[in-house]
Amino acid sequence: MKGLMRNILYQTKNTCRNTSFLFWVVIYPIVLAAFFYAAFNGIMDIELEDINVGIVEDNPVGFILDDIDLVNVKIVKEDEIEKKIENEEIDAFIDSDLSLLVKKSGIKQTIVKEVVDQIKQMVKLNRPMNSYDFSIDYTISKNQTANPMIIIFYSLIAMVSAYGLFSGIESVCLIQANLSNVGIRINATPLKKFNFLIAAIIVILILNLISNCLLIIFVQYLLKLDLLYEIKYSFLFILLGNLFGVLLGVLIAVSNKLKPNTKTMIGMIFLLFLSFLSGMMSPDIKITLESKFPILARINPLTIISSNLYRVNLLENTRFVKEGIIILSIYCIVLAVISYVFLRRRTYDSI
Amino acid sequence: MIVKVNNLVKRYKELIALDHFNMEVEEGEILGLLGPNGCGKTTAINCILALLTYDKGEIQLFGKKMTPNSYDIKRKIGLVPQEVSVFDNLTVKENIDYFCGLYIHDRSLRKKYVEEAIEFVGLRDYEKFYPKKLSGGLKRRLNIACGIAHKPKLIFLDEPTVAVDAQSRNFILNGIKELNKEGSTIIYTTHYLEEVEMLCKRIIIMDNGKNIVSGTKEELKDMITTTEKIVVSFMAIDEETERKMKNIPHVIDVERNGEDFVIKFENGFNNIANLLEFIKNNNLSYVKLYSQLPTLNDVFLELTGKELRD
Repeated sequence: MKGLMRNILYQTKNTCRNTSFLFWVVIYPIVLAAFFYAAFNGIMDIELEDINVGIVEDNPVGFILDDIDLVNVKIVKEDEIEKKIENEEIDAFIDSDLSLLVKKSGIKQTIVKEVVDQIKQMVKLNRPMNSYDFSIDYTISKNQTANPMIIIFYSLIAMVSAYGLFSGIESVCLIQANLSNVGIRINATPLKKFNFLIAAIIVILILNLISNCLLIIFVQYLLKLDLLYEIKYSFLFILLGNLFGVLLGVLIAVSNKLKPNTKTMIGMIFLLFLSFLSGMMSPDIKITLESKFPILARINPLTIISSNLYRVNLLENTRFVKEGIIILSIYCIVLAVISYVFLRRRTYDSI
Repeated sequence: MIVKVNNLVKRYKELIALDHFNMEVEEGEILGLLGPNGCGKTTAINCILALLTYDKGEIQLFGKKMTPNSYDIKRKIGLVPQEVSVFDNLTVKENIDYFCGLYIHDRSLRKKYVEEAIEFVGLRDYEKFYPKKLSGGLKRRLNIACGIAHKPKLIFLDEPTVAVDAQSRNFILNGIKELNKEGSTIIYTTHYLEEVEMLCKRIIIMDNGKNIVSGTKEELKDMITTTEKIVVSFMAIDEETERKMKNIPHVIDVERNGEDFVIKFENGFNNIANLLEFIKNNNLSYVKLYSQLPTLNDVFLELTGKELRD
C-alpha cells in the first residue's frame, strides 16, 4: 500500500509537470469548446420559431398537429402546395397518406419529419394518436430548447473523457523495457509492473476527471451553456468514459511492438473516428447513423456517453442509462483482461 | 560466485548476438567487460537481468536461477543502463528518491541513502533541477545515482561514461572505485581501454558475442607475443635501413606511423640497448625514443586482428 501511494505521488508529479499532458488534456479541450462556441454560436442562438406546416383540409392528422404548440397548421389547396413551399410560406407539407414534402432540409423540416414518423409508428402499433405527446422531444423546458448543436458539446465531453487514452499509452511505455529507457531500469527493479500500472490508472483517472470538470465549468459558467442538470448519471458516464479511455490506451500500448508515437497516433485516429461517429464533427452524422445504423450508436462508447449525457440532462430520459452503463462496463472489463494477459511479466526478444 | 553465466546463446533471427558466452564474477571484484560497440556487452547484461529472452545457456545470480520474477535477487542488484533512464519531469532528488524507494521502504533509511547518493555523485547543487536542465555529464551522474542509491550488492554499469566530459568521467570512475571499496561487486562494460585498465581487477574481452579471453590485465598481456613496444622517430632514415630494423634481435614487427616507428619486441632483454646499438651502427640520429608495455588494445589486436576502436 505504501509503495502504491509513493507511485501515485510520483506519477502525479511526473504527469502534472508534463507540458504535453497539460496542453492536450487540460487546455486543448477548453480551446476546442471555445472554438465550437465561436463557430456555432449563431446557430445555437436560434430561438425556434413556429413551424408552418401545410395540410389539405381533410387531413386525418390535422388535429394532432393542431395540438403541437410549435406547429402552425395552414390549410392549403392542392394546387397551391408547390407554390407555397417554393415561396417558403410553409416549411413542410404533410399529405393525407403522411408523405412529407419539403423544399430544403433544416431543423424545422427535421422536426416535422420526426413528428410524422412518430405518427406512422403509432398507426402501425394501433395506438390512439391522441394518447401520445408528439412534441415531447422538441419542447424541452431547458434553456437550450431545440438546439441540436448542443450535441457537439456532449460529444466533446465524451471525447475528452476518453483522453486518458494518451496517458495510458505513456504509462505503459514507461514500464516496457522495449519501449523506453526508464522501462529498462524499472524492469530490473523489484517493482511489479502491475503495481505501477494500477497507480498510473488511478492518477490518470483523477487528473482527467479534474480536466473534465474544468471543461464543464468553462462551458457552463463562461460560455453559459447549461449542459449538466443530472449530476449523478453524468458523472457516472464521464467516469466510465475515463476508465474506457485509459484502458484502451493500455491495450493499444501493450498489444503490439510499434513505436510509442505510432501507438499514440493509432489511439488518436481511433478516438477521432469514434468522436466523428458520435456527432462531434456534425450532429447530422450522429442523427443519420442512429437512423440508418442504430447498432453503431449502441456500441460506440463515445455515442453511448454523449447520447446519455444528452438524454439524462436535456430530455430527462434515463431509459438507456442502464444499458449504457452495462455496455461501457463490459468494454472496460474486456480491455482490462486482454491488457493483463499482454502485460504479464515477461522477457523481451529485443530491447 | 555472485554471477555465473554458462554457454549463453542469443540470436536475433540470423544474427548471433551472444555465441556461447561465459562469465563468472566473484564477490567484491570489479569485472570489466571490454569489447567494441555491437559486440554483445549490453545484450549479455540484459540477458543476465532477465530482460531479454535467450536461446540457450544458464544464468545464475547469487546462486539462483535468474527469471523476470526473481524479485528477491533484483533487490540486491543495481543497474546503470547505457542510456540515461530517468523521469523527465521529476527533479534530480525526486528521481533518486523514487528509484531508491523501489528497494528501500523505510523512510528514514531511504532519506539517508538518497542524501548520500546525491553527495556521492556530486549533484548537491542540482538536486532541484529537472534532468533536461543538466549537462550530459551531470545526467550520467544522475543515471548512476538512481542505480546505486539503494546500496546494492551487485552493480551493472553499462558504458556509464559514454559522451561524458573528462571531469565527469574522472568523477564517475573514482566513484565506481569507491563503491567497490564499500563492498559492491561491479560489472563494468565499456569500449574504453584506459577505463578498464584503471578500474578492473579482471577483464573479459568480447568480440562478435564471444568472450575471446579473460583474466587479469597482466594475464591478458602475457598471452600475447609482444612484450614491449618502442616508439622511435629519426632525423632521417633511408628505406634500406628501415628494412634492416626487422633484423634487430627479438623484433617481431615494425610499423610506421607518420614520423614514428613502432617497433614490437617479443620476449627478450635489452631491447632498448639493441635498438640504440642499431642506431649507432647505422649513423642515425633520433628525435624521440621511448618504451611502452603492451596495452589491452594490443591484446585485442593480436587476438582478433583488429583494433578495439574499429
